[in-house]
Amino acid sequence: MQLFIGGACAGKRDVVKQRFPGALWWRLAPGQRLQEVAQVMLPNTPLVVHGVFEWLMATLDSDLSIDEWRAQWREDFPRLHQAATSNNVALVMITSELGRGLVPMARDQRRLRDLSGWFTQDAAAQAIQVWYVRHGLVQALKG
Amino acid sequence: MIVFVSGGARSGKSHVAEQCVLQAANGQPCFYVATASVYDGEMAERVARHQAERSPPQASTQWVTLEVPLAIDQAIAQVPDSHAVLLDCLTLWASQVMFNGEEDESEPFSSHEGFSLLVRCVQDARARKITLVIVSNDLNEAPLPNDPVTLRYVEFLQRLHRWLANEADSVIEVVAGQPIEWKAVANS
Repeated sequence: MQLFIGGACAGKRDVVKQRFPGALWWRLAPGQRLQEVAQVMLPNTPLVVHGVFEWLMATLDSDLSIDEWRAQWREDFPRLHQAATSNNVALVMITSELGRGLVPMARDQRRLRDLSGWFTQDAAAQAIQVWYVRHGLVQALKG
Repeated sequence: MIVFVSGGARSGKSHVAEQCVLQAANGQPCFYVATASVYDGEMAERVARHQAERSPPQASTQWVTLEVPLAIDQAIAQVPDSHAVLLDCLTLWASQVMFNGEEDESEPFSSHEGFSLLVRCVQDARARKITLVIVSNDLNEAPLPNDPVTLRYVEFLQRLHRWLANEADSVIEVVAGQPIEWKAVANS
């Protein structure tokens, strides 16, 4: 998996579009398990998974705790990888950097920031390559 | 040459940018395009602090300050060919482009006009071999407020940043006063 991280409007999508021109794009649906994304894979076609921020936002309304969500996606990552390997799919994920700046006052905003940070860390740990996008420029963080 | 310097609040980006200008000026007078509008006492202190840091008594280089909240193209036009100029900062200028006229009900600039103005500055600087160093704040790596006006502002600022990063010969991020080079000047 390749992970692209960057702030709001940093140019992440443009960079990914340029590098994976024929890719299938999949926006994570609220409540969707990460491993279910394997079902939309097309053999030999790169798959870009995006919409992570909104997907995490939807978890705020759920009864599961942050730890339960984290356990779930950690369980799903290897399955997603396995599916990508067997379909010869280059898996690409886009996440937002939200961790800088003040800690938000509102509980939900704090929780969202935590979820986003942990998800990005877990995704980066699974990724072979990690890229940081800043003002449309790209720097390798891993691989 | 075009240099784009950005970083968080109090990261030391203005100092790094000033050093770039002083180096490029090579003893000639340096120009400073100040986009800040002084609207309260805190802002006046902020401006005074920047001025004092730029021109300590022992400084040998003269700084010529041009105060322009909006018409940055007219300010750059006043800089002689082959000189060095610092534009500080794009963040404030972008907010003035977007929110100019809200109080006095005059016609505000559109973001399209603002973008064109910046493009003209950069083109003018390039054509006249001016070293233009532009400073801006990184605002987009934290949770953003939900109000549409702020989101529109961040989108506009990021559009300027992406264009500038692509156009600039050198792009520098400043963290704790330390410059991190994202794009280096090609050796000729």
